[in-house]
Order: sequence, then structure tokens, then C-alpha cells
Amino acid sequence: MTSGAALDRLVRGVSAQVRRRRVEHHALRGFFWASLPAVVLLALKGPLGPRAVLAAGALLLAGALLGGVWGALKHTSRADAARLADRAFGLEDRVATALEWGERPDRTSLVAALVADATARVERLEPRQIVRRILPREARFLPVPLVAALALTLAPALPLPSPRLPDFTPGSQEEDKDARTGSGLLEERSKPEARERLRPPAFEEREFQARSGSSTASTAGDLSAVFKDTSLSSQRPDFNSFLKRGDERLKLLEQVDRLPDLASDFTASQYKMVFRKSKALAGGLRPDQISPQKLKELLEEMERLGRKGGNWSGDVGEGMEALEGGQTDKAMEAMQKALDKMRAQEEAQRSGKGLRGGRDTDRGGAGRDRRGGDGSGGEGEDFGEGEGLLPGKGRSTSPKGEASRRLSATPYDVGVEGESRRGRKDGYDTNMTGRGGPMASRLHYLGVIGQYRKLMEDAITREAVPRDYHSQIKDYFQALDER
Amino acid sequence: MTDDGRVREFVSAFEVLRAEVEKVIVGHREIINHVLIGMFAGGHVLLEGVPGLGKTLLVKTLSESLELSFSRIQFTPDLMPADIIGTNIIVEDADGRKYFQFQQGPLFAHIVLADEINRATPKTQSALLEGMQEASVTVGGISRPLPAPFFVLATQNPIEMEGTYPLPEAQLDRFLLKLRVRYPAIEELNAIIDRTTQSRPVAVERVMSGAQVLAYRELIREVPVAAHVRDFASGIVMATHPQWADAPEVTRRFVRYGASPRGAQALILGGKVRALAEGRYNVSVDDLKALAAPALRHRVILNFEGEAEGIDTDTLVSQIVESVEASTAQSREPFVR
Repeated sequence: MTSGAALDRLVRGVSAQVRRRRVEHHALRGFFWASLPAVVLLALKGPLGPRAVLAAGALLLAGALLGGVWGALKHTSRADAARLADRAFGLEDRVATALEWGERPDRTSLVAALVADATARVERLEPRQIVRRILPREARFLPVPLVAALALTLAPALPLPSPRLPDFTPGSQEEDKDARTGSGLLEERSKPEARERLRPPAFEEREFQARSGSSTASTAGDLSAVFKDTSLSSQRPDFNSFLKRGDERLKLLEQVDRLPDLASDFTASQYKMVFRKSKALAGGLRPDQISPQKLKELLEEMERLGRKGGNWSGDVGEGMEALEGGQTDKAMEAMQKALDKMRAQEEAQRSGKGLRGGRDTDRGGAGRDRRGGDGSGGEGEDFGEGEGLLPGKGRSTSPKGEASRRLSATPYDVGVEGESRRGRKDGYDTNMTGRGGPMASRLHYLGVIGQYRKLMEDAITREAVPRDYHSQIKDYFQALDER
Repeated sequence: MTDDGRVREFVSAFEVLRAEVEKVIVGHREIINHVLIGMFAGGHVLLEGVPGLGKTLLVKTLSESLELSFSRIQFTPDLMPADIIGTNIIVEDADGRKYFQFQQGPLFAHIVLADEINRATPKTQSALLEGMQEASVTVGGISRPLPAPFFVLATQNPIEMEGTYPLPEAQLDRFLLKLRVRYPAIEELNAIIDRTTQSRPVAVERVMSGAQVLAYRELIREVPVAAHVRDFASGIVMATHPQWADAPEVTRRFVRYGASPRGAQALILGGKVRALAEGRYNVSVDDLKALAAPALRHRVILNFEGEAEGIDTDTLVSQIVESVEASTAQSREPFVR
């Protein structure tokens, strides 16, 4: 038994209504979701130009279209449509039951009467729209993106933030200032006042008292007191110049090849440098496994060092001869001998430069004379017989030695004053007080500057100073010479 | 006769029978309908109400309207099972030989009125159990069928609980429907006064035979039920179970035990009778909603909180039906799916 044509017609009609409503429903959803990126596009109207409006419109259209297609493709079963018709027309499940039982093989004898009854009732129905429109949840929020899109379309393009960093140079500030004063906008005119207001009150009311040791008189509120020991003390803090210097230093850091190797120990002695190189050369290898070329380079360096006063040139020469003869082991032995001599000389020099007592100046030039010459004096030679730092061991009759002439003249001309820090009380802010006295602390400048320049030239020659700093060091000593 | 003709005949017979009962019973149209639904569905009906509301009169009138045997059992605490089922008695024949002969009890009737059934002991109540469920009784190892159609109408008084034995859940479940007879309205009361105080009693005619009842029972079973209507009935019954995952909040809170599958059967069978009585060839959701309370109110057992809160089972069932309908309608919404 097949269901009546009227029932089929009713169900098809209801299905079509459902499909239409679904198309509306999902098209509205698609329109809403497409409106969100459309708003973003319109916000980028500035860089995109008029294309943004066109793209936004196309996006909205595509969203609605896709939603509508999605709704149209959704399937509505006959049973669902029949139930919807039963509910809408008050048919008390006649259509759904007739459709279901009309196709069942185990239908009862009453099914035929049921189908006939349902068909008769359906034929008497007036066709009408029975599927109500169901708005999606998104429809409530749809006005928001629509209004935003409309506003963005009508309004001028939004200014977008520039990807460049702001220009802090004074020139640009001047230009900004000029531009600001030139503009007639109220809010822009009020900006400088706001900046003044925003100054921290602590900075504004703080008064820096001039310290007693300061040579320059500072007035209350003078910020230069903070920077009195720096080059900034005479001028206002200039952040732009600070940035500029920082940029120059950053550029210097980019030149990696010109930077000194800070990992190296340039304060190490010649012996240590050569010893490390020899150790790196040997590296636990047998003499026959050592590279002759590298050994030769090391011997040549030791020979060059020996020409500046070393006594190991003979050993180095033997080593070079052995190396030319292919006797690496002998060359190594000669190098070891030279290293021993180099170490002995290093130790002798170090013993002459040990710490000395604080009153060696008072002891006159005897001690200096003893330390002079080749500098090979031992530590015990710093003090004469019966002299020393211990009480009663000096030449003074005082158990603690004589006071310096400076202190004995004016005991209050120099001192340290300080005050407890705020906070953890673990330190003091100290300040040297007193004025420079007419003590003869000056040396003959022009007499010693020549010696210093000679030492500088010697140090540079020994390459203990990085090559990139040679010119700076020379410039520095040149500046000293000019005084 | 065509199916359509049989249905029309049933509709007519139903209305005639109801009219005969209404000659005596004033008002209580819904109660009468449900009693007839229970009878045509092949079930038993429990009538609950305070004394004097015409419960017994309703059953008596119904029995007088049908060409069926009728017996009334007044349940009392000293009533024994043999008193309702029957017993073997020693009979002496003409030759003087004695033998056992089964003496049928009052249960052997087409329509049995078990008046104040909750006053009998559980032993006697359970004796009624087999008869109600199997339509047969067993005495002395011999099973004896009860006459068909067999229809038990029991009454009980909800207020005089002292000296009563509330029916166990198992026996309550045997009743297809439980009807609550409410107090009549003033117009109905006036009509009752007028009718019962006249000198001439109202005569009730027998309008339906037992064979017709059985034939209508067969017809009723042919009424088709759509899948979604059947699902609705199942959903209602399942929603009465607090352990069910989708049970509504009222069920979880107030129900201890839910309805048995007999509840769903009662819903569908009652729905079929109701549909056919209205001249409809199919069961609708409305049929189930109309029969939910009488079919389920005695099958839903409240828990302590429900008892303490004084929850009315009718209200509870109504809320359950509403929740199931809401969830079903939502799940069947074409836009949602």
C-alpha cells in the first residue's frame, strides 16, 4: 500500500518550506560570520584603498551565499516533515502514522482506513506557510558588525601605526614642536601643560645640597649636582645624545672582527703564553706526532722574545737546528730548556715587584736604589736590617712609626665624612673632605712622560696590547705630552 | 464489515455504554471514560477516593450496562484467599459417595468489584494477584481459568488508613490505570441529589455483551502507533527513573523507583482505546499525555524527600511529561538537526 498522493504533496510542500527557512537561517549565519572579517578589511581601508570596500562586500555576499547553500543542502526527512505538518494543522499524528505504516509490511487492517482518513483531512486543508522563521543566535549581534562596517565605509581611512621607531633626535623634536604650535587643535595645545604636570613631584621638589668637598657652587634644585663627577654635570641630561652614543657603540659592537679577544689573558706573562702554546702544541702527543711547522713557529716566537733580553736564545737555536734535522724530540727538549730559563727570569722579575710597605717612600731612595738595576732583588731586600712594618722595627722612635709630614702639619685638612644609608644600613655614603694642600706630590711631568711613552712603545711592540687599540693608546700619550 | 465500519461501531458502542453509566453516575465523565478504556484495553482499574463519591455505584452501573456476570467482594481484614478464589468442598452424591468439588469464589465473574481492597491482608490481596495477571486461579494444584472478559475494578479509601494494608507495588503494577475520584462540583452534587432522592430509580439497560467486548479488544490492538509516538511513551516511562541519564530534575530529586514496562504498555493500549473511541485510527501524542497520570501515578514510588515534601504524583508525572515533550520537540526540530 502506498500513501496517498495528497499526503506526499503535503510532505513535499512542508519540506520545501523547511528548506527555505534553512536557507534563510544559515544565510544569516554566514552573513554574520562574514561580516567580522569584512569589518577588518574596512578598517584597513587606508592601505588597501577602495578595494577594501569591494572586498568586504564580496565577503559578505560570499558568506551569505555559502550559508544559504549549506542550509539548502541539509536533508529533511519525510517523517520530520510529516510530524511538522501534523503539529501545524492539528492532524494528531495522522499523516506521520499513515506515511510510516503505509509502507510497512506488517501493517494492520486499520492502516488503510487511517490513510484514507488522513488523505481526506489533508485534502480539506488550506495550504499555508507553517514553518516559522527561526532566527539564529548570531542575528542578535548582527547589527554590531553591520553598523561598524557602515561607519568604516563612510568614515575616512583609519590611521595605522607606523612600523618605524619614533625619531627622538632633537631636530625632529623641534619640528614636532613647530608643528604643534602651528596646529590649532585644542587638545594639541594642551599637551605641553600636561607634560609639565606629569613631572614626578619628588624630582620637582628635591633640592640637592652641595657637598662640602665640591669645588663648584650649586644652587638648590640644580640637577647638575647629581652629575657633578661626570661630563653631564654642566648640562641638562640629554637623552637623545645618550641614544646617539649608544647607537655608535652598538655599531662598534657589530664589527666583531675588530673587537679584542677578551677571553685571552693579556695580563699573563710571556712565559705563561709560551707555555700554554707549547702545551697546546704537545697535547699529550708523542714527539713524532707533533707538527714540525707549529713547533717551528713556536721556537721562532721564543727566539723573538729572547732578543729582548732573554738568555734562552741559545737553546732556541739548538732546537731550530734539531728541527731542521728532523729530530723533533731534541727540538722539544731544547724548547723545554728555553721555557725553564724563561720561567726563571719571570720569577726573578716578579719577586722584585712584590708588595712593599706603605712607608717605603719615607725610607728614601735606598730601597728604590736596591730595587733598581735589573730588578732581580728578592722580597727580603725591601727592608734593611732591623727595618720593617712591625712596631718598633722601623727607624722611627715611635712604636707605630712617624706620622707623615702632611698629617702632622694639619691633622684636619683631610678626612672622610659620611652618613648612614637609608634601608638596610649596611654601608655609608662617604665623601672625601678637605682641600688640596700645597704638598709636593707632583713629579716632574716632562721628566717622567718620556719614560712612560717608552714603556708604552715597548708594550705595544711586545703585542701585549690588541692591535686595534694601538692608535688610541698613542693618542692618549700624545695628549699627555701636549700638557 | 469493513474496518471503517467496525471502528464506527466501536465508537457508537462506546458512547452508548458511557451514556448508560451516566444515567446513574453524575459527572465523572473522565473517570467513566478511563474505566471504559481500562476495560476495553483488557486491564484492571483501581479507583481511589473518599467514601460516598460513587465508586462502587459506578462499577455496579457498568456491570448492569453489560451483559456480563458481576460479583462484589467487600475486602475485610479477616477475608481469606479461599473466600475470593473458592475452595474444594466435600460433596455427597446420591449414592452416598463423597468427593471434592470446587466451589468457585466470587472471583469467578466477568466483572469483579474489589471494594476497599486495601482492608484485606496481603495474603488475600496476593490471591487476587494471579487472577488479575493470568486470568486464572490455581486451587488444589488445578488451574482454573476465569471467565473472559475478566475485569477487576478495585476501590480503596485514601484517608482511613488505620487497619488497612496498603497494596504492595507488585500488585499496584497489575492495575492498568489508577483513577482518582474527586469530589463533585456543586452542579453535579445537585444532580446527584435529584436523581437519588426520587421515588423511581433509574433503569440501566444492558447495551453490550461480553463477546462484543472481546471483539473490540481485538480491534483496538490493530490501531497503528507511529514510531515517534511509541518513542514518546518510552521516553515518559524512562524519565520516571531517577537512574536514567536523561531523567529530569524532579525525578532525580523525588522519585525512588520509576514505572515498569507495564507503564508503557498501559500508555499505548490506553492510547489506542482513546484514539478509537474518538474515531481516530492512530494513536497520537495527545492520547499519551491524557493517559500519563492514570497510567503512571501508581507506578512511580516517591522517595523520602518526595514523601516529606508532600509531592503529588500527578503533578510529578505532569512535569515529567512536559520535560520529555520539550526535549523531544527540541530534538525533532528540523532546523536544529
